[in-house]
Amino acid sequence: MSSADLPAIPSQRVVEALAAKLRRRQVVGSRDAALETVFVLRQVIAKARFQNIHQLVVLIKNVGRTLAQAQPKEHSVGNIVRRLLHLVREEYNNAIKSNAPTRPRSLTIANFVLQGQPRKASLVTKAESSLVLNENDPDDPDSFAKTLKPVLMEAIQDTLDELDTVYESIGRNAKDHIHSDEIILTLGKSKTVEMFLKQAAHYHKFTVIVAETGPSYGGHEMAQSLSSIGISTFLVPDSSIYALMSRVNKVILGAHAILANGGMFAVSGSLMAATAARAHSTPIVVCAGQFKLTPLWNLYHEYGALDFADPSSVLGFDEGDLVDKVDVLNPYYDYVQPDLVDAYVTNDGDHPPPSIYRLIKESYDDEDNEL
Amino acid sequence: MPPKASAAKEKLAEQDEVLQAVILADSFNTRFKPLTTSKPRCLLPICNAPLLDWTLESLALAGVQEVFVICRSHAEQVKAALQKSRWSAPSSSMKIVPILTAKETFSPGDALRDIYTHGIITSDFVLVSGDLVSSVRIEDAVTVHRERRKKNKDVIMTMVVKESGARHRTKSRGDSAVYVIDPTTDECLHYEPVTGFPPKQVARIPREVLDGHPDVEIRYDLLDCSIDICSVEVPSLFQDNFDYADIRRDFVHGVLTSDLLMKNIHCYVAREGYAARVQDTRSYDAVSKDILARWTFPLVPDDYHPAGQSYELLRGNRYIPRDNSVVLARTCKVGNNTLLGPSSRIGDGAQVLSSTLGARCIIGVNSVVRHAYLFDGVVVGDDCVIEHAIVGAGVSIGSGSRVGRGALVGDGVELGPGSRLAPFERVSLVRDEADEEWDSDSEYDEAELGESRRLGDDSTEDSLKGVLGPNSNAFVWPRRKASAGVDEGEEDAVEGFQNQRLMRIGDEHEDLDLSDAGSTTDSEDEELSDTDSDLIPASLASSTTTMQTESAASAAVSAGEAAAEHEFLSEVRQSLSRAFVEDHSVDNAAVELKTLRMAHNQALSKVREAVVGGIVERIPLVADPARQRAEIQGWVGRWGALINLIGGVDGYHCAQSERFPLFGPILAALYQDDVVEEDDIRAWHAQPAAKGEGMYEGKHRDKVQKCWLVGARMIHQFDEQESDEETEDENSD
Repeated sequence: MSSADLPAIPSQRVVEALAAKLRRRQVVGSRDAALETVFVLRQVIAKARFQNIHQLVVLIKNVGRTLAQAQPKEHSVGNIVRRLLHLVREEYNNAIKSNAPTRPRSLTIANFVLQGQPRKASLVTKAESSLVLNENDPDDPDSFAKTLKPVLMEAIQDTLDELDTVYESIGRNAKDHIHSDEIILTLGKSKTVEMFLKQAAHYHKFTVIVAETGPSYGGHEMAQSLSSIGISTFLVPDSSIYALMSRVNKVILGAHAILANGGMFAVSGSLMAATAARAHSTPIVVCAGQFKLTPLWNLYHEYGALDFADPSSVLGFDEGDLVDKVDVLNPYYDYVQPDLVDAYVTNDGDHPPPSIYRLIKESYDDEDNEL
Repeated sequence: MPPKASAAKEKLAEQDEVLQAVILADSFNTRFKPLTTSKPRCLLPICNAPLLDWTLESLALAGVQEVFVICRSHAEQVKAALQKSRWSAPSSSMKIVPILTAKETFSPGDALRDIYTHGIITSDFVLVSGDLVSSVRIEDAVTVHRERRKKNKDVIMTMVVKESGARHRTKSRGDSAVYVIDPTTDECLHYEPVTGFPPKQVARIPREVLDGHPDVEIRYDLLDCSIDICSVEVPSLFQDNFDYADIRRDFVHGVLTSDLLMKNIHCYVAREGYAARVQDTRSYDAVSKDILARWTFPLVPDDYHPAGQSYELLRGNRYIPRDNSVVLARTCKVGNNTLLGPSSRIGDGAQVLSSTLGARCIIGVNSVVRHAYLFDGVVVGDDCVIEHAIVGAGVSIGSGSRVGRGALVGDGVELGPGSRLAPFERVSLVRDEADEEWDSDSEYDEAELGESRRLGDDSTEDSLKGVLGPNSNAFVWPRRKASAGVDEGEEDAVEGFQNQRLMRIGDEHEDLDLSDAGSTTDSEDEELSDTDSDLIPASLASSTTTMQTESAASAAVSAGEAAAEHEFLSEVRQSLSRAFVEDHSVDNAAVELKTLRMAHNQALSKVREAVVGGIVERIPLVADPARQRAEIQGWVGRWGALINLIGGVDGYHCAQSERFPLFGPILAALYQDDVVEEDDIRAWHAQPAAKGEGMYEGKHRDKVQKCWLVGARMIHQFDEQESDEETEDENSD
């Protein structure tokens, strides 16, 4: 495979447009960012010209790098790129395997780590395994792309479907987590948590306490939405979380990103709620889609998550005299350590924090961790 | 993610019009000299990105598609910078067109006239200056403006303002304003510029603003973002009013106080986002701090740096480059709100506090940089102290130097070891070329004593060695003197020296007396403030609207009034006769009269009287009653409309004239022409004055009474007509 003559990124304009939007925070929220990224990648792959798998991977990586660097704090962009790369390789390997006899992999201690990605057996027996791939065919340079593209499009469509239905699939086993007459505490406005609670409300009658979660006050919206479908809801100020914790049966939080060590980034205030819950040994359940799994560690800030928004929601700009004298920090995310979380509920089942690394290894290829 | 999601795309999709913006990439003043001797102000870096890039970024954020950059000084540099920037890349969402204007462009007004002549504006556009840093959703203001224009075509401009409180580091104390706003429609009813020194204590608000606006807000807590959404008419208005220079003080104030234009200007109070102009060194300091304190989010160095450098945010708003190129000594101290440029090095024991370092800056051992802004490539020796100063690119400062607060050091200057720059000293590689500077600066010429001083001139060498240190290549610019500003203060108060001091970085202006005498609203002020504007001398003013001031007005004043009135009447007469002789159109004559009224500040009734009188005088006297009637018909037919345009008829006129016998026929003719309504005649007739009551005995009274009788007869006729048509009787007599 030659690494020379890399094709220029097609649909450069689309990529740049999304990068600019991410930079300007015109696209915000993990899921929206993930969806936009898939749309762009689909467009890029549809128009791409490539002769072998290497070119394709490099191409996707380039686009992914542009997007991920545009907004390093929107982790789902990088995650979805890694996910797609993983799918591309998988499809390719399936096609190769069907052509060539599969090399039997013997499990020895020497290659244990290399084989560390346990692939799901079901994927191997896909219908497309009868593909004939002609890599670097000099007669028909497009043949490789032509044969592989339909399969890739299908894989991308699967990813999109997964993103579309992520809330439903997370909420599917909500009734097993929330029981009748429980008191649930939640924070801010997370669409995932909202759907989770609403699905559980079909089966059980329970009470939700929503902390208003300053300075964004997403809790207001959340409380309104929950009470509109008849869930008994209390809206409380953030300061009373600890006082109320002794009555709470379970804390359910949303996440911005789940890190490889099992910790997570979540809306600021989550750490306080989690610590209060720990003090009362109240279980903490985090609901999040699989696209939030991020092969990263929180290296820099022990508590904050490096994303600081503008101070205006904390201290008004019209407080002229104070602005000059007070430094206001408005961290958007908290870092919640793995030992504070009891379980992650994802669309791929429930996992304890210590097994997140395995999930990440299954979802992404190691070589893509650095885009 | 933070709730900054923008629906800009959908908004723009709705309106397929291209959103245009005009950037005035010139400041038209010299507040940044000598930093701007070799570089235009819009290319000065703030937080290591040129100001113009921040402005373009702000516009891109608002979804602007086409940008015209008006450049004047160092235009080639601006052009080159634009070409190099990523905005010129084919994938850019904005089309940028640099426009070079003539060197004779001295003010924003001139620049707008230039835009008019270029004819590039096709629809509503955003007007900003090239030193804007903003994260305000300008597109929202544009939408509001367009909605308003659909309803009312006279809305020509929307000013974006932001609530900032009366005192704010970003709000200029030297150049602010009082806004009078109708809170229901956000219409700006009056704009009163405020200068910091001499402190302005009285804002005069014309009484007219209260007409039809039951609620008004008088606000001094608004920060002018200097983002204007302008309609196409705005450049042409500048073209028509060639003396408009400043957009705010001349244009906005002018439009709002003019009765001729009948145009409206609105305010848009931005609730979210940040916007401010770097209009002087003080606001440079303030805006830098605002950026580092993340008020401009998402336009912050670690997230969205306009020059594309990537920074990492550390706790306490410290920004260091992501490329790990910075070398920090183990014992150095980097304080809060500090930005370090790529490849900068900080020595042992050095302190960098609340400052911005450009790329490749080197800070020597034990030096202190506090509240200072160092551009690219500045080398600071050991044991230096730099406070509240702006240091240009490539400057080297010798060991043991002190740069006092407020000092500006031009690009490329080398200061020797042990130099001592006094506070507010300005140092540059070139001499102060005051002659070549703009109008606003010329006032300093006389005050600047002698030549710029340079090391090597025999006489001053010794004294300068202390300032610049040995082996320096710099000139010390002469100090600006306080006296100059005061002398010319009336000419241009904003550029006055003492006022400028309020705009200088690091100037605490403790010695300036800015104390507010409190809000004194004594009755005298109120009465005077009734006049159209404070431009008109008070002696003329009292005749117009206020009757109660007459008691207070002295005899001298009334004499002056009488003289003024006489002059006015003769002017009107002349203008009318010109109109009659040259056969002007009625509209033109009306405008001329209106202007006259403005110029002499006379009441409407006076004009009316004069005009009606003038027309009646013109009617030739003919013996034959039939011819006479025809004559009257002709005159009234031709000029009756003028009376109407002037503002209706009083129903009472020219009793003194020798043509009083014609009163009846004229009145009839006016009535036939629909100039005078029946109701008007009745109303006049009902007035006691019409009967001549309260008038002096004599001929006049007889005549007036005769007129009244004629009127009575006419009303009688009306009544008869009416009773013929309708059976219902409405007899008023």
